[in-house]
Amino acid sequence: MKGLIKFLDSFGAILLAIIWIAPLLFAFWAATHSTSDAVNLNLFSAWTLENFRVAWSGAPWLKYFINTFLLVTVILIGQFILTTLAGFAFAQLQFPGKDFVFILVLMQLFILPEVLIVENYAMVSRLGLFDSTLGVGMPYMASAFGIFLMRQSFKGVPIELHEAARIEGCGLLGILWRVYVPLAKPTYLAYALVSVSTHWNNFLWPLIVTNSPETRPLTVGLSIFGAPENGVDISIISAATLMSVAPLLIAFLIFQRQFVQAFLRAGIK
Amino acid sequence: MTVSAFVKLDDVAKRWNGQLGVEGITLDIPEGSFTALLGPSGCGKSTTLRLLAGLEIPDEGKILIDGKDVTTSAASDRNLSMVFQSYALFPHLSVAENVVFGLKVRRVPKAERQQKLHRALEITGLLGFEGRKPGELSGGQRQRVALARAIVAGQRLCLMDEPLSNLDAKLRNAVRKDIKKLQRDLGITVVYVTHDQTEAMSMADTVVLMKDGHIQQIGAPEDLYSRPTNTFVAEFVGAPPMSLIASKALPGFGEDKTIGIRAENVQIAPKGEGRLRCTVIESEFLGSETLIGLGHADATGLCVLKPGLSMLSEGNELDITFADENLHVFDAAGQRLAG
Repeated sequence: MKGLIKFLDSFGAILLAIIWIAPLLFAFWAATHSTSDAVNLNLFSAWTLENFRVAWSGAPWLKYFINTFLLVTVILIGQFILTTLAGFAFAQLQFPGKDFVFILVLMQLFILPEVLIVENYAMVSRLGLFDSTLGVGMPYMASAFGIFLMRQSFKGVPIELHEAARIEGCGLLGILWRVYVPLAKPTYLAYALVSVSTHWNNFLWPLIVTNSPETRPLTVGLSIFGAPENGVDISIISAATLMSVAPLLIAFLIFQRQFVQAFLRAGIK
Repeated sequence: MTVSAFVKLDDVAKRWNGQLGVEGITLDIPEGSFTALLGPSGCGKSTTLRLLAGLEIPDEGKILIDGKDVTTSAASDRNLSMVFQSYALFPHLSVAENVVFGLKVRRVPKAERQQKLHRALEITGLLGFEGRKPGELSGGQRQRVALARAIVAGQRLCLMDEPLSNLDAKLRNAVRKDIKKLQRDLGITVVYVTHDQTEAMSMADTVVLMKDGHIQQIGAPEDLYSRPTNTFVAEFVGAPPMSLIASKALPGFGEDKTIGIRAENVQIAPKGEGRLRCTVIESEFLGSETLIGLGHADATGLCVLKPGLSMLSEGNELDITFADENLHVFDAAGQRLAG
């Protein structure tokens, strides 16, 4: 009986994993075979890289890559600065209305960004940031999740270290920079992984707020590339998709452990 | 006083939400001295130290360091160093980086920093450990890193908050001597907080005994031992502490006084010739002598020392005697009476 349960457990897990990975495997299969072979699942057909060549020349991919890379970097830097300062304020400083403001920040966690898309659009336009990398990144910089994460992490720093640094002559920002930030390194890494993967894959907001290949990130570029009016060629679209997710996939394989820990941490804290 | 004190606390008070922290702390600490703040937990000794350090700001009173009013100045402007009970070493920095942390913050040139670091590590016997992280050190080594960090900048005032309480007993004795030697050699002023009276008595020039936020007595260790100002001091200082006897048990002392006597001044008298008849309640062998705990209806903490191993069985009756000049007399409120 026990053996059966154990078997079912493993079987279920493997089944789920297969269902999960199937689209990616099919994309890989389709991208490396000619369209007819891919659709017919002809297992003995020849392998080819031709689809990648066609896909690469079909759109300004390099520009898209640079745009996405710039976008996630700008967002991450903005998030690091804002969440560090806000998290520190909520963790260690005393100011009137602190609890109330913190609750406001937490409430942001319950609001889906998509709900605010129209308002954000108007705001970004008013700021004159429409169709710019900064405009795409701005609404995500003051991340409530990040502020909460940093606050929890800073709260775990022993108060003696803060006091020792004070006696050694550090100002408030000095203490933050020399004591809190280095001690919160694992949290920064975890947060960076989550943030980069989220914004690499973000689609709806960049689609709305970008207008030109100059600012368009990969996700939007891919959707335009694969739009029906360009003619659907499953192999070439698969090749393009694989190209866009490749950097993230490679990063995931390298940072697998940290990735899993990142989500565990975020869940536990 | 001809020489003005190096550190001066003038009627300092600090209250926590209306509750008492410390009250009416007036204290003069001369330069180069070793002052111990002693008392049971919650007596306000740590609060006093934190007020001195600038980690708390007093509600009343003034604090002067080196003639400068620092009552409201920031901790970093007071030119002092501090050793914390937990050592407060930065776990992400190596030993060397921990020690020069303050020098780096104060932008001391690199060459001077290296030189001071070398000297501090030499004094504390930590040469060769520069690259280690605090997590890779033993408790005693961490403690020395904390000491090195406190002396590296050459601050003249060093505050220590129970720096030995995380060490085992054997190491504690050794480090006690090291700290005392360090203080003498460098000529720095140390204010040392402890709840361990042996530590305070053996290290300090001046002991400040506190209770419930008030200073009970300030004096040299021998003063506290031989001339306690009240019954609290009498019972706190010394091992074993002074025994207290209600005066009605002894003829000729009146009704409402308390008489104090130390164990070493109590002698066992032949049956019928003693001044007090007690029962033996415990015998504790200490090595060179045996401590006999005695019970009497009007006395607390009464005991007598017998040389060598000399256990007495519990419940035995024993007569004791003592000379009048060894008695300490306290009034009804527990204050010492002249004499």
